[in-house]
Amino acid sequence: MEDKELDFALRYPFTDVARKAIASTELTESIAYLAVERIRRSLEGDMRALVSFRGSDKEEAIASFAASRMILGYLRNSFLTSRFAVNEAKIAHGWLDKADEKEVDAVAAIFGILTTPTKEKGRMLITLPIYLRYSPRSVDYRITNRRLVSGMVEITYHEKKRLAEEAVKKHVERIPLVKDPPELIKNAAEKLLESLPKTQPGMSGNALASGAKVEDHPPCVEKLMESMRKHENLNHQARYFLATYLMAIGMNDEGIVQLFSDAPDFKERTTKYQVAQIRKRAYSVPSCATTLTYGLCCAVCRIGSPLNWHTLGKERKGYIKQQVIGSSGSVMMATTENKKEGAVIDEGDAKSVEEADT
Amino acid sequence: MDENDRRLMTKLFSSYYGQAELGVLGIEQREFGVGFSRKIESRHLAFAHPSELRNYLMNNTPFFVSHSISYYEHPSATPMEKKIWKGADLVFDLDLHAEGKYGAYMLLDKVKSDLSRLVTDFIKGDFGCTDVMLAFSGNRGYHVHVRDKEFRTLGGEERRELVDYIMGNGLNYRDFFSESGDKKTITKLHGPNPEEGGYRGRFAKMTLKALGDDPGSIHKSLKEEKTRNVFVRSIMDGNWSTSPVKKNSELIERLAPIAKSLPVASVDTDAGVTQDLSKLIRVPNSIHGDTGLIAKVFDASGLEGFEPLRDALMPTNQELKVKFIEDVPELPLRGEATGPFKKDEEKRLNLAVAAFYVLKGSATILKGDAK
Repeated sequence: MEDKELDFALRYPFTDVARKAIASTELTESIAYLAVERIRRSLEGDMRALVSFRGSDKEEAIASFAASRMILGYLRNSFLTSRFAVNEAKIAHGWLDKADEKEVDAVAAIFGILTTPTKEKGRMLITLPIYLRYSPRSVDYRITNRRLVSGMVEITYHEKKRLAEEAVKKHVERIPLVKDPPELIKNAAEKLLESLPKTQPGMSGNALASGAKVEDHPPCVEKLMESMRKHENLNHQARYFLATYLMAIGMNDEGIVQLFSDAPDFKERTTKYQVAQIRKRAYSVPSCATTLTYGLCCAVCRIGSPLNWHTLGKERKGYIKQQVIGSSGSVMMATTENKKEGAVIDEGDAKSVEEADT
Repeated sequence: MDENDRRLMTKLFSSYYGQAELGVLGIEQREFGVGFSRKIESRHLAFAHPSELRNYLMNNTPFFVSHSISYYEHPSATPMEKKIWKGADLVFDLDLHAEGKYGAYMLLDKVKSDLSRLVTDFIKGDFGCTDVMLAFSGNRGYHVHVRDKEFRTLGGEERRELVDYIMGNGLNYRDFFSESGDKKTITKLHGPNPEEGGYRGRFAKMTLKALGDDPGSIHKSLKEEKTRNVFVRSIMDGNWSTSPVKKNSELIERLAPIAKSLPVASVDTDAGVTQDLSKLIRVPNSIHGDTGLIAKVFDASGLEGFEPLRDALMPTNQELKVKFIEDVPELPLRGEATGPFKKDEEKRLNLAVAAFYVLKGSATILKGDAK
């Protein structure tokens, strides 16, 4: 393989070019070691890419990505997988920022992100389904305020790279189960687990100063906390909303930081600082209208502010939760992680079809 | 509904299914659900071929039959994850809510303008979909099935984004505008032009309409033709600086009622139906067990002329005598004013019309008349 191609594979180890580059590379201790390091670095949010100069080093570095995926496929730990995917996507974005247009196009095209230029410089069109699939769930990317004609959405060159980053993340986090990996991978997985801190991510305590129970929140908050538990990556607005809400109901900074430790790109220092800033500036909890704008509202509570949830009676809360949009779950959500969800879908759908088929 | 009524209704449904056109796209990949007294009593059913479905409906004759909006590799497998999801149609449900048992039927015509906007402006215009099927729900609304392959693999969240778009959730028309020039010079206000698609173009068109219909609602000087024409011409080019309103920010605020009217004129679709990938939706052209009306498929071009209470009744010239067990209002059934009927009134009616009242629980078949 030519040096140019090898360098491309090194920068984007999730591509077919990378796969070809290591087609004849044997798994070695050195590759397994690099793979563990690669995952460990993603836990630290270390976005520096592996830099190698010699051809064989480059191949090892590329192979470490594949070996990392084998380790994660064997461990089946959604937290590690999410952190790994987010970090690899950010590394790829770093390269894309430095790359020329041809390289950006080549990487984006792998995920079907194809664009056609508009008359306006720096602006381009992308098909709506691809845009929806890879645009971050943030208010800036909502299609409501975008130019949208005949199934084509207008984006900027910078946004194209952001879409590609999201596509890399989604691609990397889809790791197939590896039931019986080579011994080298098993050993590497054990080493990785041994080196992890022994704390359990998640919330501590179950009562808050305000008297609100930890498990009793409006549906929008519950949905976000569920996403956190699944180590899904929440956008900025969602995190801000969650932090202000938890603060308002009396959770201390430590508890909030602890909760955010489930985020795939968690950085303790940054989170502590941001939570402290929110408290210092006494930011208020976004209203229901604002959460709707953020795309975070998922129920028809009619309470004006999420905080008013705690003034509702038990019966009213139960009724609202029954009506939550998508409460019956979806096939996409019914992963093997929670087999109970299948049953929920069955019960929920008998209800939902009644609503639908009037 | 007593046993006698149920027996006759079952016979009627079975006879209909003997000749009904039940074209379910990708039938072998769909999960089916049926119910005899409510919408879904049993699901995870699958049919490899349309004739299998027809035989099932003729022999078992459920009062309700639905299919998954999703396509699966193994549609009858349980639990859900074993079905192996392959994609899903994009389905929108327009539902009417009105007071009383018969209140919604009087409003079915009104929802047609929303349906027309949903299909023409949003689904075909903005989303660029081409494979769109419309069906009456069989009761109080309409279903839109979008079967374009590019949209099939969208997840629930992505579908929610489309519903939010249609409903105008998160719409901030102020973002449509930008200024150029500095404060010392004249600041030019750039905005949408009517040639643009999506909400931007719609906003420009609505503003032009307001300038035509009631220009004083924006600014009193716009009542003057010359001033108005200058503003109209510049909006056509996306230049909003020529209005008589001095401050750009003030003009933008004055346009707020127009922006507000965009979502109101939009479609209040049922987000849950569109977003939930495990949803079952009534089989097009099957009968709704609560009304006896057909969930009739119709062409978008024929929307204007489609009248559910005339066109979605089972085709029959037979008649049946029923006795009303409650008062019912007048309704335009089969294209003619029918009723009102009083409690205990006995009436010989077209079989499909009689079935409608019996299934609604407003009448019972007179013994001796049921064959």
